[in-house]
Formats: sequence, C-alpha cells, structure tokens
Amino acid sequence: MPRAERIAITAAGVVTPIGQDLDTFWSALLTGADGISIIERFPVKDLRVGQGGEIKKLTRAIDWRRVPDSRAARLLVSAADDLCVQAGERPLGVDPERLAVVIGTALGGVEEGERALAGSPRRFPHALYDAPGHALGRWLGARGPVITVSTACASGATALGLGAELLRRGEADAVVAGGYDILCRFVLRGFDSLRSLTRERVRPFDRRRSGLLLGEAAALVLLRREAEAGGKRLGTLLGCGSASDAFHIAAPDPEGRGIERAMRAALTEAEVDGTEVDFVSAHGTATPLNDTIEAAALRRVLGPRASVVPVNSMKGAFGHAMGAAATLEAILCLLAGRHGQIPATLGLEELDPACDLDCVQGVPRAARPRLSLSTSLGFGGCNAALVIESA
Amino acid sequence: MRAPAIRAVGLLSGWGEGAASVPLDAKAAAAGRAVLEVERPALDPERFRRSRRECLMGVAAVHLMLEDAQQGPEAVAGERTALLFATTAAYAPSNRAFIESRGGSTYFPYTAAAAVPAEVAIAFGLTGPYEILIGGAPATLRAIARAAALLEAHACDHAIVLAVEVFAECADVFARVRRAPSVPLVETAACLWLDRGHGTIIFERRRGGTGGDRARIGEMLSCEPLATLALARETGGEGPVAVAGTWRGETARLEWSARPYRTRSRVA
Repeated sequence: MPRAERIAITAAGVVTPIGQDLDTFWSALLTGADGISIIERFPVKDLRVGQGGEIKKLTRAIDWRRVPDSRAARLLVSAADDLCVQAGERPLGVDPERLAVVIGTALGGVEEGERALAGSPRRFPHALYDAPGHALGRWLGARGPVITVSTACASGATALGLGAELLRRGEADAVVAGGYDILCRFVLRGFDSLRSLTRERVRPFDRRRSGLLLGEAAALVLLRREAEAGGKRLGTLLGCGSASDAFHIAAPDPEGRGIERAMRAALTEAEVDGTEVDFVSAHGTATPLNDTIEAAALRRVLGPRASVVPVNSMKGAFGHAMGAAATLEAILCLLAGRHGQIPATLGLEELDPACDLDCVQGVPRAARPRLSLSTSLGFGGCNAALVIESA
Repeated sequence: MRAPAIRAVGLLSGWGEGAASVPLDAKAAAAGRAVLEVERPALDPERFRRSRRECLMGVAAVHLMLEDAQQGPEAVAGERTALLFATTAAYAPSNRAFIESRGGSTYFPYTAAAAVPAEVAIAFGLTGPYEILIGGAPATLRAIARAAALLEAHACDHAIVLAVEVFAECADVFARVRRAPSVPLVETAACLWLDRGHGTIIFERRRGGTGGDRARIGEMLSCEPLATLALARETGGEGPVAVAGTWRGETARLEWSARPYRTRSRVA
C-alpha cells in the first residue's frame, strides 16, 4: 500500500471563549485562563446547570452584512478571518475553483431551527446542518467542494481527514477544514437532561471529576499538499483514523475499543508506531466514564511509554466545544511543537489513579513534541484520531 | 480510483420495498400527495423502544440489503466494514420534537445526525471506519467515492453506504421552503454494499448543472443516487454506469468504467 501523501497545515484560526485569535488563545491556555461563565445569551434559569464556555461578544472587525444572521455562521467566519490573518492572505491566495471547505459540526444551524419554530419561519433554511458551512464557503469565495460532516464531537477530526483526502485526490489545491458549534438552549437542555453537566468545575482526569461543561468555538486550519505548501507551515497532518463503537447511542464502549481502533488506524496511515508519539491532545471530557476509557485505550496504544508521554485536555479551560473540539486539539498539537510548551490541564489537581497517564498539571511543561496524537469521541459511537507532526 | 463493486442494494421508500416498487412517473403515482411516508418498520419493539422511525428505516434498509445478498449480519459485522452515512435532514424531526418538547420524551442523543448510523452500527456490529456527510445527493455520491478510497487503501474490506431521509414530521416546513414542489417528497432509506471491484470510478463535481431522475422517483434528496443505482441494476446491459445529483447549486457525478453490479435483484 503506498504511503499516504503528507498534508501540510499552513495556517490556523480560532474563535473561543478564551481568545478570538490564535495568539490570544495560546497565551490563555498557557496562563490558565478560565473561559467558563454563567450563560447570558439565552435563558438558563430552568436548567440544572447554566454555565459554560460562552463567547460574550464577537470582537473581530468583520462586515457582517455579508454573513447570515446566524451565530454558527458568524463563529465560523470569525475563525476564518483569523485564519486569513495568520496565513497573511486575505482573500486566500488560491484559485477559488480550487479552494475547498470541509466543516465538522455536531449541531449545525439548530439554533436557527429554534428561532424558526418560535415564529421566524424564514430561518428554516439556516437550520440545516450544512448551512453554516456553505455560508463560510461564500464568505471565503470558495467555488470548490463545500462539505459538512457530522460525526458528533469527533466532527472536527473527521473534517481534517476528509480535507486531506480532497488534496490527495486532486479535487482541490487548498482546503479550509475544521469544526464549530455554538451554545444554544437546544444543546444545553439536552446535556442537562442527560445529567452530563457538572455543577462544579471541569476536572479532566481528576479523581473528583463530575462531568463536563459545554463551550462554543470555531477552529479552522488551512491544508495544502506538502509539495505546494512552501516554507510557511505549522506542521503536517500525517494520519487520520475513524471507527464506530457499535455499542450504545450515547455512551462510549466501556472497553474503549472504538477509540483504540481509530488511533491505530491514524497511526497506520501515518506510518508511525504508538511508541513514537511525543504528546497526546486528549478528548478528556471530565466525565467519569470517558476519561477512564480514554486513558486505558491510550495505555494500550502508546505501550510502555504511556506513563511518560505528556497528555493535555483543554476541556477545563472553556468546556467541551463539540464540533470544534477536535480541531482545537489538533491546533494545540501544532502550537505546542512551535512554542516548545505544553499547557497544563486546567481543573486537574489530583490525578485519578484509574487515568494513569502523564497529564500535565499545575504549570505548562517545557517540551517540544514532534509527533502528536489527538483523540476524539462522540455520540453515536463516533471515534476519530489524528496524527500530527509539528514543523 | 479503483471502482467498488456493488454487491447488494437495500431500498425502502414511500413507494414500497425494492426497485420494482418505484413508479415510472412520481407525480402521477403520488396522486396529489405531497409526502410519501414510510411506516415505522416493525423491528423488535423492546430492543428499539427509544429509537426513532428514521433509525429503524436505516436498520430495515440494511436488512433488505443483506436479504438481497443472501447473507446474514455476520457477513458485514466487525472492523473490516466501513459505514458511510449521508443525509440532508434526517435529524430534523428529532430536532423539532426536542425543541417543541412534544411529550417531553425525546431522548436527546437521538437528535444527533449520528443517531441513524449509530443504530445501524449497533444492530449489525459494524465497527470499522465511520463517516457521516451532510448534504443532498452530492453528499451520498461523495460517500461512495470515499468508500472506494477506503477500499482501495485496504482500510476496509466492505463498505456500506447508507442514506436516509424522512419528511412527514416536518412536512409543513418543507412545504414552506420548497421552491418548485413539482414532485412529491418520498421518504427513503437506501444502502449499498460495496466491495473492491474491477475497473475505475470517476468522481466529478461542478457548480450548476442538473442530475438525478426526480420526475421518476420523486424528491429523495440524499437517497436519490442510491435509488437510481438500484433502478439501474434492473435495466441490465453492459458498459459504464453513471449517476449524478444536485444540491445547493452543485452537481456531483460518479461514473463506473464497467458495470459494477455483482448480482441482479433477488427481492421485489
């Protein structure tokens, strides 16, 4: 089997509760900024938990007249604006016919569905899950493929894998790929009804962890074929793998076999061994079940070095960003390699012995990972993993 | 790209089961009905007590596919089978029910776009590569192309491409937003069983253009290419097989260099 062509990641852009550009986001991760707050944009008083990682105001100077009045679309465009700044090209310097967009989301434009059913029927078209991705495509001027994937909270990884495939197949010369999701009543009420949300702080891999909080974000990367990427790059996407649990509609396989298969598939595509991994940007939701399962699967995949490979979860900083989470985790891998530091896992104070990994806690760790592994799990038994090499 | 062979098909639609149920003229056959609905499939009520109609339609379509192949579930179970799911809006009824809290009993995880493939994966033990694409017919055509790529890379030995669309619960919404409801909305669950095949397959997409045969089959959105491929199998003959579809101003097209079917239909 021929080696999968290496795909360069040449730029990234984010909008998160702790920063609306890449540099601010990275600084906030390193300094331990807390993006969790009481949600103000919609009513939450009737819910058991009313806090999360909410972006209080979109601060980028964008001509919003060109963007639908949809928060999901506007988060995506904000992240794309940052990506263009990071790439030093606005508009992106690629033939629009050869520019593709691949976007992952768990919720799409569902808030527009809420608004439509509340009496604004003209909003129905924006409620389709692929509507925000197409709005981004129009904003970017992309006339190549515009694709939406929805593998729940693994969507942001699936999108990068599919974006790489478009480049390898010659369907595009550049791909803006990533994920997003917003906080809205629909999703908060849903997780609240499942009793998945914690009333305390989010504590990934901690003995006292009691659940997750949700956050909103959008995160994008610019993918190019390595030979055409030039010198400017954040790193390389070496492999992507996915697998189904086929276990339960909501709960992960307690043995973690699905996420293990996804990790092994990504490593196989990357042609690297688990023992070569320098850093893990973990899903780490801080639910009692997820973190134990993920830790066990990581131990099996990383082998004897599992106890010395640094691990981080960002969920303590601004909650679970759902469709954006996996892309943010991939970006963390790139930034850690670039800056030679791995942020601490906010909220982690007392490592759960059942999650016996080298979770970075307290303060950032000086380390420059070359090969990183990012893991994602989602509703419906969706699992995905990425292998990333830092520049 | 190396072409996948179509080993079997499963088709359940508002017209009935199998390609033979599809009429020659959708508008005439609909006789004024705006939506051709599929009744909730009668699967194990205890096992699927929380499951929604669209999920059961997906499971039923895969059962029909296995029946077509004269195989049991064990033939596709395991990590060597990829599952690729496409839909435009199968999640819409569950989203709406949850928003409107009808009965307050919608189990939140069933609002996810991943709910249908999750139920299928669980029912048949599919633990291989797993991707979900959102969009109209081009999403399904891309899912077939993606399956071909996974088969070619030996990331799997079999691939199931599944698409599901339901309309009844949101018929009022579709009535409001459809610009040219010249053909009925036809609820459908359709799937293909793909193996590594012979010859090549070409995937193309472009802005504009038209594709599909809605005048015959009705509006099936993401299911349209699978229904078209099921119908094409019945026509026999040799030579290339092509299928196209449009969504949001984009047309996608797949062309097999040689006839991809391994079997003729065994089920009506």
